Amino acid sequence: MIPKVEYYRFKALDDALRFLRQYPGSKILAGGTDLVVQLRSGKTAARKLVDISGIDELRYIRDEDGYIRIGALTTIEELKNSETVRDHAQLLWKAANNFAVWQIRNIATIGGNICNASPAADTVPPLIVLNARLRLQNVDRQREIKVEEFFKGPGETVMEKDEILTEIVIPKKDSGWRYSFIKLGKRHSHILSIVNVAVGLKTYKDMIEDVIVALGSVAPTPVRARSVEDYLKNHRITRTRLEEASQQVVKDIKPISDIRASAEYRIEMSKILVRRALNECLKNVFTT
Amino acid sequence: MSSTAVLQAQKDEYDILREWMKAREFIYVGREVKRIDALEKVLGKSKYVEDHLVEGLTYARIVKSSIPHGIIQSIKPGRAVDHPDFIALVTSEDVPGLNQVGYYIPDQPALAERKVRFYGEPVALIVASKTRSAEELRELVEVEIKPLEAVFDPFEALKDRVLVHEEHGSNIVLRTRVRKGDAAKALQESDYVVENVYRAGHQDHAYLETEGALAIPMDGGMTLILPCQYPHLAQSIISRVLGVPQSKIRIIQPVVGGGFGGKDDMIPIVGAQAAIAAYKVRRPVLLTYTREDSFTSHCKRDPAYIRYRSGANKDGRLTVVDVDIIFDAGAYANRGPFTLWRATAHSTGPYEVPNVDARGTLVYTNKIYQGSFRGFGNPQIQFAAERQMDELAEKIGLDPVEFRLKNILRPGSRTSTNQLLEDSVGVGEALARVAEKCDWREKRRNYGKIVDGKARGIGVACAWHGISTSRGVPDWCNAYINVGKDGGVVIYTGIVEIGQGSHTGLIQIAAEVLGIPPEKINLVGGTSDAPDTGATHGSRGLSFGGTAILIAASKIRKSVQRVASRILECSPEDIEMKDGWVYSRSKPEKKITWEEAVKRCYAEGEEMTATGYFFMPKGRFDEEKGQGFAYIVFSYMVVAAEVEVDVETGLTRVLKVWPAICAGKIINPKLATTQINGAIMQGIGYTLMEEVKIEDGRILNPNFTDYLVPTIADLPEIEEPIFVEDYFKFGPFGAKGLAEMALIPIPAAIANAIKNAVGVGPLEIPYTSEKLFENLSRRGRR
Ligand SMILES: Cc1cc2nc3c(=O)[nH]c(=O)nc-3n(C[C@H](O)[C@H](O)[C@H](O)COP(=O)(O)OP(=O)(O)OC[C@H]3O[C@@H](n4cnc5c(N)ncnc54)[C@H](O)[C@@H]3O)c2cc1C
Repeated sequence: MIPKVEYYRFKALDDALRFLRQYPGSKILAGGTDLVVQLRSGKTAARKLVDISGIDELRYIRDEDGYIRIGALTTIEELKNSETVRDHAQLLWKAANNFAVWQIRNIATIGGNICNASPAADTVPPLIVLNARLRLQNVDRQREIKVEEFFKGPGETVMEKDEILTEIVIPKKDSGWRYSFIKLGKRHSHILSIVNVAVGLKTYKDMIEDVIVALGSVAPTPVRARSVEDYLKNHRITRTRLEEASQQVVKDIKPISDIRASAEYRIEMSKILVRRALNECLKNVFTT
Repeated sequence: MSSTAVLQAQKDEYDILREWMKAREFIYVGREVKRIDALEKVLGKSKYVEDHLVEGLTYARIVKSSIPHGIIQSIKPGRAVDHPDFIALVTSEDVPGLNQVGYYIPDQPALAERKVRFYGEPVALIVASKTRSAEELRELVEVEIKPLEAVFDPFEALKDRVLVHEEHGSNIVLRTRVRKGDAAKALQESDYVVENVYRAGHQDHAYLETEGALAIPMDGGMTLILPCQYPHLAQSIISRVLGVPQSKIRIIQPVVGGGFGGKDDMIPIVGAQAAIAAYKVRRPVLLTYTREDSFTSHCKRDPAYIRYRSGANKDGRLTVVDVDIIFDAGAYANRGPFTLWRATAHSTGPYEVPNVDARGTLVYTNKIYQGSFRGFGNPQIQFAAERQMDELAEKIGLDPVEFRLKNILRPGSRTSTNQLLEDSVGVGEALARVAEKCDWREKRRNYGKIVDGKARGIGVACAWHGISTSRGVPDWCNAYINVGKDGGVVIYTGIVEIGQGSHTGLIQIAAEVLGIPPEKINLVGGTSDAPDTGATHGSRGLSFGGTAILIAASKIRKSVQRVASRILECSPEDIEMKDGWVYSRSKPEKKITWEEAVKRCYAEGEEMTATGYFFMPKGRFDEEKGQGFAYIVFSYMVVAAEVEVDVETGLTRVLKVWPAICAGKIINPKLATTQINGAIMQGIGYTLMEEVKIEDGRILNPNFTDYLVPTIADLPEIEEPIFVEDYFKFGPFGAKGLAEMALIPIPAAIANAIKNAVGVGPLEIPYTSEKLFENLSRRGRR
């Protein structure tokens, strides 16, 4: 049952921030697709809700000064339909295309996906790979933090009680990068990830110049697979190298067994998905 | 009375059925007549149980046990009484009649009394003036239960260390047996024998609309708006619980959001609960189950453990089937005695097998109980039987289709129970045609190779399914037709519309016989005001319900013919009725309208009402010998399924399905096709992903986030079904049952296709991606 709550709705960011400062025990409500479920199941104790979904100033996708700036209230469907996102934050766009169903995408926000801090959140590994930064704001100040440093554990972040995530900032990368996002679930759509993988990769001749690998649902937070990256960086691209690199992922992840999958399955799938994602990035590069 | 005597006593009715079976040209039957409820549904105007608002309505929720096995110490409303919306707490002490809703064995209370036997069992009802408050207040109710040791594993339960029903003396509810020939000897002597253990899990009906009931005390009794599948069953159970005669209980059918068997079992129980509450508070009570309640507290498809041995000789003829079937009944017997019997009787698959020994055991455990679900015990056993056919074929070195065709039932065959199948056995033709249509040989040759980490496979499976109730259980159908003075026709039938479209099909039957357009006919279904027609289950609604309507309509037709023959001056036999005209066949210009004819019937003393009672001539099953009459007729189904397996992740996609069905005359091909498509999807879910996870008796995934049903993205391409119209002599125009059929062979067809693709043969369902992955890696390691 959804418990009784006090509900406040704001149209201006400043008003919401002031309220949060005054009532630090309140909980932000964006699309509610995570929060309402948690209220129902008793997974959140919050009884004061601050609905920010009407704050239009936090809903935008901008391409300026070498950055893609996305307002935290932008919905997943808006990401999916955005040419800017498709062209300059392709990984995020791929994640949006593999996300839930239309009805959910229409209300689920990117900010909510991040702040909910689920290890399985589909937009997060792409944002890690894209070196995205998060802009957090309270009544007095703003700060920016790297996505990777944002998460502390399932449902836990470094965000203060009076802060709102306002913007996701993605630096544009040069056109040499190739990307792949793969999500594995137990059916073919509308499914929470058992494992998701995002890879960004740049080659120089037959070498891997740079690579970033991130995974979700295989540790208390989304993780970067630095062992895989290190194994590949500045090495020649061969099938063996890729295969071996994929195996390294076990050093970076720490999955648990839960109702969706066993830890063993998640480990094996991580290796396979990393290899597949790397291969996909190199689809047209491969000759050997 | 013998079946011949039963038929003789109903000679007129049987003549009617025989006469119409000869018809080969139709105006409405066999056509894709549009569903009568389509527009209302699309417009959102259909009224489901919750849409019936009555004055003074109160709202109820179940209060559930959070202990799987224990002694009830006390149930108190606690702080709930202080709430302004609190109306009442209802417990077993408030039951005015008998607190007993058991279906076959009287082992189940409407509200737990003295003991609880599963986690989620309703122990009380909370009634409030608002739904929300009911929801809130139920959490305040103080239920004190002293835990007892519980037993969850059926094999553990068989040891009878912990008894679920101590008054029963054992956890074994009952045993079933079918015997033919000498199985033990045949196992010794067969050239090939294959043995495997198969398992099948629970399945939730996952209907869009969860359980609900609206009970309104009125007219000195109780009227219930009840989305059930058998109004007269609900009527008798509720009358027992209230301790008032059935005549005082009236059941009215709202639009129903899906049944699949679940509402056959549950709604009489939920109706009884609502009625007890309404009796106590003397106001109308709407009891609804939330989705979570539905998951935790409504019956599921029976989990099964099947040890299966079968043999064949070098010539490819089956010699023997020897099988042990254990069905986990859960906390109450409910329909278990019947699902298990069905599994036992169908254990051979649709084949001629000279030696059979099938033994079934139904076991109580402290878990959610089993119940009716599309296929009714048969999907589990056909999964085993049809996996086994592939394994045997492989051992002999025969193609699976060829092997099946050598043994398939044909007219004149005898079944596992030694019942003679005189006619209506089209399965051989269905199998041959499916094999041809799906390009079987070519695909079997080419598939099973890994390309880009993926492997394709194709598999086939057949199924047979006895229609309606088994053995000598009395079975009949009835309907009442009233023709108004203006020619408008009203049909009353106990058959229920649960989304399957039967009511449209039933109207088509009446329209055909009366020669009037379907628009002139109104059908009142699913109410206890109609004659008792039996349940809308066992794929019998359109078939048996239709038989009654055909007979009743024919009686009206005869009356009209008699009167018209006098007016048109010809013999009654010469009178034809079509398109709203009544005319002479020999001189078609001699004609009057249907309306005119009806008016004259009223004027000339011809009765314009009729009933269509027909009692099915059944035989006897000898439980001692394990032989005899099993079902009045069988429908048959064949499907081929093509899959693609991701060999690294284990994720299986069903790419294409080719269905063929032998359900006699198809009354409405569109309705038939939608039933087949829906059943295939439900079968895919059952086979690949639907899994009720239970830990210490508690369901861990009572929601759609983690109880996964297939979505549209999992939908395969489904070929137009092949209809083999193997007529059934007691069905309307020869129609048999259809709605359950397509689900039954799906698990084996998919599993056989997986085996063809990757060489690993699934022995259990659901066969999730993780299980397939495990099996593949285990094989890789060997
Ligand atoms: C049917 C269904 C399917 C789903 N499928 C997927 C899927 O495929 N992939 C996936 O990743 N997720 C999925 N989800 C989860 C969910 O939809 C997403 O995580 C979504 O992006 C959450 O966004 P929201 O706006 O609804 O967040 P809300 O539920 O409103 O909020 C989530 C959390 O974030 C906090 N929060 C929200 N916005 C801010 C902000 N700007 N600043 C600070 N804190 C904030 C809230 O306080 C809350 O704790 C699914 C959910 C459902 C119900």
